[in-house]
Amino acid sequence: MWIIIANIGWAVSAALAAWMVYDWFQTDSSYAEETLTSSREGEIEAVQEKHKV
Amino acid sequence: MAKATTAGPAPQRVSLLRVLGPAHVWALGVGIVLVGEYTGWNFAADKGGALAALIICWVVGLLYTSVAMIDSEVTSTVAAAGGQYAQAKHIVGPLMAFNVALYLVFAYTMLEVSNAILVADTIKSYAGEGFGDWHYRGVIATVIVVLAALNYRGVLMTLNVNFVITAFAYLAIIVLFFSVQPWSQGTVLKLGEMVTPDNALPYGWIGVIAAFHWGIWYYLGIEGTTQAAEEVRSPSRALPYGTMAGMITLLIGASLTWYVCASLLPWQYLGFTYFPLLDAGKVTGSPFLETLMFTATILAGIASANGCINDAARAFFSLGRDRYLPTWFSAVHPKYRTPYRSIVFLVPIALAFAFIANLGQAITFSILSGVLHYTFMSVNIIMFRNKWPLGTIRRGYTHPFHPIPAVVLFILCVVTFFAIFLGYGAQLTAMVIFYIIMSLWFHFYRYQYVRRGDQFTMPWPKPKGY
Amino acid sequence: MAKYTPPEQSKEMQWVDVIFVVVAIFAALWLPLQAGWAGAARSIEKIENPTWEALKQTPAQVEQWVKLGIADAAAAHDIIQNKFDYTIDWLQLVIMTVVIVGYFVFLFKASDQEYREVIDEKFNGK
Repeated sequence: MWIIIANIGWAVSAALAAWMVYDWFQTDSSYAEETLTSSREGEIEAVQEKHKV
Repeated sequence: MAKATTAGPAPQRVSLLRVLGPAHVWALGVGIVLVGEYTGWNFAADKGGALAALIICWVVGLLYTSVAMIDSEVTSTVAAAGGQYAQAKHIVGPLMAFNVALYLVFAYTMLEVSNAILVADTIKSYAGEGFGDWHYRGVIATVIVVLAALNYRGVLMTLNVNFVITAFAYLAIIVLFFSVQPWSQGTVLKLGEMVTPDNALPYGWIGVIAAFHWGIWYYLGIEGTTQAAEEVRSPSRALPYGTMAGMITLLIGASLTWYVCASLLPWQYLGFTYFPLLDAGKVTGSPFLETLMFTATILAGIASANGCINDAARAFFSLGRDRYLPTWFSAVHPKYRTPYRSIVFLVPIALAFAFIANLGQAITFSILSGVLHYTFMSVNIIMFRNKWPLGTIRRGYTHPFHPIPAVVLFILCVVTFFAIFLGYGAQLTAMVIFYIIMSLWFHFYRYQYVRRGDQFTMPWPKPKGY
Repeated sequence: MAKYTPPEQSKEMQWVDVIFVVVAIFAALWLPLQAGWAGAARSIEKIENPTWEALKQTPAQVEQWVKLGIADAAAAHDIIQNKFDYTIDWLQLVIMTVVIVGYFVFLFKASDQEYREVIDEKFNGK
């Protein structure tokens, strides 16, 4: 049983790896690099949460 | 000035998604750590005997309680992905932050590798004839790639899955504990005959010290809860709550695990096996318990690997965001809102090590990175309190008895360095040299690409003394 | 103090940096393994024709060994007699201490130097 599971595992891994790479290139080509890397640290803390001492 | 303060009607930004609650924080922390109960802690018995394993279970528990308290205070104040990395950046300085991020990436990637190997080993021990290297590696690849895809797809689902399998693995320990009639010694459990005055501390007290090395494995990774800081809905509440609850869960789990395993397995075997709980289930003679512990061992390994992928990717992502590494890594997936490039980038590295490295070495690297990290934390909290004394900034949680936890933590770290030295000295020195080389590289070369003032993103006043 | 503007790094050099990090990581794991530094300082103390008594196992322990699939004392011998050597090699301890302490001293000093620049630019440089 485990041998079959291991073989299925290889197939699933290969499929998911391919999907990730596909989705990755898809994403990279449909968005600007500035948009993708626009996350900033501490932004949400500064904007949404009021900072009181 | 930092861009953070000019936000508002700024162009649309893609950031990580704030969807997690305290239960997810618990699942992330305990999920990573619980595998330590299923494998690893028992090597403490190897280094010092069964009694040593119990002593360090509690003493190292104290170390981690200090870690959790300190961490909760700093993290509930510095809520950013990368956790201790962002703390180091705001409190100690950029080079320290770079090192902390490396500790994190290493500790978690190597832990992920160990988990994948553990799952494959467990299955192999039951698979029988015909289960060759190809199949063994198939299991490793499945664990790493499937979990990476889960992480890629979104953090909420990732940690929901972790919550379920972690809870299962934890309940399995409790079921095992109550099935062996812990209230009546002699029926199933024979602690008095397994651990005798003769063999309790076979190496004497030096063995207890040496056992600190593996004692770390009882709890290693609980500090990973902070990596979720940018994704929890209310960091200042959920992080201390989830971390402390996780620590209590683990202290109970570790004590039960020791009690059952030490009462069922001869200490030399305990120090030798890779699956103490599974073996304990096996010697009860109950097929149900054996199957339960088999399943739970695998699930604990999966939960841990899952959490590790999450944390390592967050730390790597933060490095890119501050230009400590190329900014390319700091991309967030516009749809899934995950640090997708970091997740994918770490997959081949994890696979390579899981296929070729040995388990003991991967674990030791992970432990060592962890201890370097805790040493930093003990100094960090003292600097934090000095630069921003209580009352100058809003803290989500303030830990009691300062500076006692910091001092306790520091002393225990020094002891642990010595413990690793006993038996693994050369490897320890080699790894620290690696960190030195990386530090020199960063300080004298890479740092030129980093924007100075932008690194400080918290809306705090100027630190005292600058 | 003037705001520091970092140089733009070319795409190729970004990759060089990434490759450097990856190579360093692999080296750190491989060198100790290759040089034989990895793993524990331990050895098997051999007992000829071992019996359970000679291996100091109680009857209850023997029962568990058998349940674990290790049927006789000879099979358990290598597990039981594999002992650590905790004699302290002082030279190695001194080297290790110097390396770790030196590392942390450099880490905190260099960090502090960089940190002052950050604080200067963020709070004093306006």
